[in-house]
Amino acid sequence: MFRIYPKILTILACISMALMAIGQYAIWFHAPEEMTMGLVQKIFYFHLPLAWWSFVAFFGVCAASVMVLWTGREQWDVLAGVLAEIGVLFSGLALVTGSLWGRAAWNTWWTWDPRLSTTLVMWFVYAGYLVLRSADVGGTKGAKVRAVLGIVAFLDVPLVFLSARLWRSIHPAVLASKGGGLEPEMWTAVWINVLAWGAMFGTLVLARYHGAGLKRRVEAALIGIQEKTLQ
Amino acid sequence: MIASSLAIARKDLRLAFAGGQGPVQAVLLGLLLVFIFSLSAAPGEHFSAQQAMAIFWLCSSFGVVLIFSLLFRFEEENDTATALLLSPLPVQGLWLGKTLAGLILLLLCQVFFFPAALVFLGLDPGDNLSGLVLMVLAVDVGLCVLGGLIGAMGQGQGAKDALLTIIVFPLQVPLLLGGIRIGVGLMQGTAMAGVSDWFGLVLAFDAVFAGAALFLFPHVFRGE
Repeated sequence: MFRIYPKILTILACISMALMAIGQYAIWFHAPEEMTMGLVQKIFYFHLPLAWWSFVAFFGVCAASVMVLWTGREQWDVLAGVLAEIGVLFSGLALVTGSLWGRAAWNTWWTWDPRLSTTLVMWFVYAGYLVLRSADVGGTKGAKVRAVLGIVAFLDVPLVFLSARLWRSIHPAVLASKGGGLEPEMWTAVWINVLAWGAMFGTLVLARYHGAGLKRRVEAALIGIQEKTLQ
Repeated sequence: MIASSLAIARKDLRLAFAGGQGPVQAVLLGLLLVFIFSLSAAPGEHFSAQQAMAIFWLCSSFGVVLIFSLLFRFEEENDTATALLLSPLPVQGLWLGKTLAGLILLLLCQVFFFPAALVFLGLDPGDNLSGLVLMVLAVDVGLCVLGGLIGAMGQGQGAKDALLTIIVFPLQVPLLLGGIRIGVGLMQGTAMAGVSDWFGLVLAFDAVFAGAALFLFPHVFRGE
C-alpha cells in the first residue's frame, strides 16, 4: 500500500478548511450579487468546482485502472475505488446544485443538457462501478475486472457528451470567450472555490485511502491471529 | 484469428440452437416489453416515432444482456473456459467469435421486435428501409462489442452477473440515443446526410469499444 502519514493528512485537512472558509467569504462578501438571478446565482460557486473535481476523480479512476493492468499492484485498485467514491459524491452534489440552479434559472428541475446529462450518466456508471466493487464481482480476477470497468467507463464520457450535445443544449457556456458574463470579483470567487474544493478532494481521497490501508492491516492481523490460534 | 473466431461463433450458435431454444428468452422478453408499453397508450392513440424507437432499442438492450449471458454460460456449464485458453486460439479471437454469435442472435431477435413494434406501437418504417437496416447494424455492432466484453466479466459469477447490467445500460446510452435519432430521422424521410452526425457517433462508439475490447478482453477472460 502507499504509505500515508497521518500528519500530512491533518495538514491538508487544515489547509482545505482554511481555503473553504476563504471561499465562503469570497462567495458571500466579495463577489457581487448577480442582477437577474440574485442570491440563487451563488449556487454556481459550489456547482462548478464540484462538477470539475468529479471529472478529475473519474479520470483518476481510469488512470489508476490502467496502472492496475500495467503493474498488477493492489494499491492502484484501492486508489481507483477511493476516487470513484469521491467522484460519485461530488458529481451527485453537482447534480443536486445544478438541479436547484435549473429550477431558478430555467424554471425546470431537469433538462436534457449535454453537461447535466453527461454528469448524470457518469454518476450512474460509477455508482454501478462501486456496487460491483462492493459485491466483489470478478472473484479471483476481481482487480483486473474492476480495472477494465474503470477504463471502459471513462471511454464512454466523450461519447455520452457528444450524444447529449447532438440531442440539444441550453446550458450556459461558462468559459466562453467573453468570460461567461462574470464580473472579475465573481471569477476570483470561482477560482478560490475551485482551489478549496480541490484541497477538500485531496483530503477526502487521502483519508479514504489511509482508511483502506488500515482496514487491510487489521484484516491481515486478524488472519495472523487466526492462524496462530489454529496452531 | 478470423477463422478461429468464425469457429467459435459457429460453435456458440450450434449450442444456442441445440435444444431448439436459441434466443427464445430474449425474444419473449422483448415482445413482452413491447406489449406492456403498448398498454400505456389509450385505445386508438399511437406512439410517436421517437417513443416507438426508444421501446424498440430498450428491447434490444435487454436482449443483448440475455444473449451474452447465454453465450458465456456455455463455457461455464461445461467448464471449458480453460480448454479454450489452452487452445492455440488467440484470446481476442474468442471475443470476436462471441461478438459475432451475439450479433447474429440479436439480429434474429430484432426480426421479431420490429414487426411487434409495427403492430403494437404503430411504428411507421417509411421508405428508407436500407438506411434503417444500416442503422440497426451499426448500433447492434456497438451493443455486441460491449456485450462481448462485459459478458466475459460475468462468467463464473453466478447470480452476481446480473449486477453487471447496472453498468451496461448507462454505457449504452450514446448508442441508444443514436439508434433512436437515426431511426426517427429515416422514418420521417430525412436523407442519410441529415443523420450523418449521429451515424458518425455510433460508428465512433463501435470503433472505440472494439479497440478497447481487443486490448482489454484478455485481462478479463484470462485474468492476465
